[in-house]
Amino acid sequence: MRTFVGMAIAQGIILRRNTTFWLISIFIALLSMLVFGSLFKPESQAFDLSVVDEDGSEASRSLRDAFSGLENVKLREGGQEDELAALRDGDRGAVVIVPQGFETALAEGGATLEAYYDNSNLIRIGYVTSTVQAVVRSFNEGLSGSEDAVRLEQQAIDTQTTRFIDFLTPGMVGMAIMFNNLAVGFLMVSWREQGILRRLGVTPLRPGTFIGSQAVSFAMLSIIQVAVILVTGRLLFDVHIEGSYLWLGVSALLGVLCMLSIGYSLASFARTVTSFNAVQQLVAFPMLFLGRSYFPIDPSPAMAPIVQAVPLTHLNDALRQVVNHGGGVGDLWTSWLILVAWAAGGFIVSMRLFRWQ
Amino acid sequence: MKPVRPSTARSLSPEGPALPRPVAADVVLSVDALTKRYNGLTAVDGISFEVRPGETFGILGPNGAGKTTTLEMIEGLRKPDGGRITLLGLDAVTKRRQVQERIGVQLQAQALWPELTVEETLKVFGALFPRRVPLEMLLERFALADKRRARVKGLSGGQKQRLSVATALVHDPEVVFLDEPTTGLDPQARHSFWDLIRDMRREGKTVIVTTHYMEEAEALCDRVAIMDHGRIIALDTPRQLVRGLEFDNTVECTFAGPVDRQRLLALPAVSDVRSEDGAHFLFTTDVSATLAALMGLTDDNGQRVQSLQVRTATLEDVFISLTGRRLRD
Repeated sequence: MRTFVGMAIAQGIILRRNTTFWLISIFIALLSMLVFGSLFKPESQAFDLSVVDEDGSEASRSLRDAFSGLENVKLREGGQEDELAALRDGDRGAVVIVPQGFETALAEGGATLEAYYDNSNLIRIGYVTSTVQAVVRSFNEGLSGSEDAVRLEQQAIDTQTTRFIDFLTPGMVGMAIMFNNLAVGFLMVSWREQGILRRLGVTPLRPGTFIGSQAVSFAMLSIIQVAVILVTGRLLFDVHIEGSYLWLGVSALLGVLCMLSIGYSLASFARTVTSFNAVQQLVAFPMLFLGRSYFPIDPSPAMAPIVQAVPLTHLNDALRQVVNHGGGVGDLWTSWLILVAWAAGGFIVSMRLFRWQ
Repeated sequence: MKPVRPSTARSLSPEGPALPRPVAADVVLSVDALTKRYNGLTAVDGISFEVRPGETFGILGPNGAGKTTTLEMIEGLRKPDGGRITLLGLDAVTKRRQVQERIGVQLQAQALWPELTVEETLKVFGALFPRRVPLEMLLERFALADKRRARVKGLSGGQKQRLSVATALVHDPEVVFLDEPTTGLDPQARHSFWDLIRDMRREGKTVIVTTHYMEEAEALCDRVAIMDHGRIIALDTPRQLVRGLEFDNTVECTFAGPVDRQRLLALPAVSDVRSEDGAHFLFTTDVSATLAALMGLTDDNGQRVQSLQVRTATLEDVFISLTGRRLRD
């Protein structure tokens, strides 16, 4: 135990003093959030919105008026088919359809609207949906009746999807965890090259104690990074953590273990720091994009199994479940299980291949 | 069928009785028929030796002689391909960790974390062992007290070397292994390092040191094993090794052109002649008789002797007379 604690403290000091080491992944995460959060600020994303009035009633006209005069929104009108075609061409941000019998239904206390969104513009969609929702909400309030007099039936999108920055922030947490912990292999290879591992190999230190203490120091560092990213997200972009901090912590720690185990495995194959760096990039960058850290992807059936095999996919899924959707254990356990499987596999491989020199 | 070398055959083979050779009480380290091969090359070729408690034991040899590999097997870094190592009464291969708690090792490369301070380095190494020497004592003894908060990367070569040895002594080991400890040090740092080794000896520690500096072996070691091509070619006290030579002095000379070896051998009092890279080493029992005759000698082109150096025989000459080569390349 004394050995473990002493080793963990020393490892922590070494990590802390290798400033560039942990600063880079935080920097990339925060930079990405600034670029995607500010450069593509939703407010600047003006769009065309069309209202298809199939009812032609007093009520439907007043709903249409509710959409007019909005900043950034150019209101259009037309027939359903033409407007949906325009939506498919990318000329409309959203098409709201007021069905026949709207007024009657409203009088009976429950009317429905259909809304179609352009799903292809990732940066805009969050703003478009929230605008439509806000208009419908205020229309409901203006009716001074019940709050859900008009229900919005949303089409072609995940109703939970919010702003792009909400999607991006947990992805940046996942990315930072990946880069930071894969880099444990860099330390191992460079220490092996410098003979530091050989030096430890002539002491009674066990490989398991060594790796365990190192994992603790990396986990601490990762927790700080995750906190910095999430606090920045909250302060600058108002990204809320919907779920529990405990599940967030568990997901992050499993991600740390998984990435560490991959880092150690790569380190047992690489002989030099240069070759490790090459291999690490070969692993990290495909993972970054297949794992949906930056953008949601809709893989072809052929690619889907590959995407599902990437551990970062599951780390990001778990993080988004907690941060965006307030997910609980029921939503998270499959992701956790896959992360645990990766971590276990990676540690078995790296312990088998562990060598002091 | 009788094996060619019975001692090697007794090695770690699973079959056979494999009884350990009885180790005398006054032996700290016993190495028996130790062998290591790399890709078909035999780096250590069935060597055997014993080290007594409190002795400073030197392993002298040129680069590639197998000194480091020998130490690495004893320290538990490499598995021997054959043979037996008994260290502090324990099998160094099967009881590796127990042995490692009681030995101190300084490796060839000064393998320390550059980011840590002197104090942090000693603390983390101290945490690896059940028994520890007080930190202040180590700092004092290795003259690192005023550097305790300095990062390792900022230390001078000599300071790094002292810290490296200090990490090998944090747990007050009974046996200390030093692998070429003074390679790359300037003469002054080397001599103060020798004092540290003498201190360890005074404290009763057994010190096993490899070197390719013959003057280092002569100055420090109670006994010296001379290694070449993976074998021990001589083992004795430095004095006995030199005395065992059939000559007292060496005359090293060069000529512009080639000289017939027989003519050099025919010089008075010359017991043997070795030649390497144009230099001739004449081993003589009577230096004045040899020199007088050498002055008159010309090479095959009629040129006289070009340069000349006379010295009393040293361990270097022991090595030259045994191998025909110089110790340093």
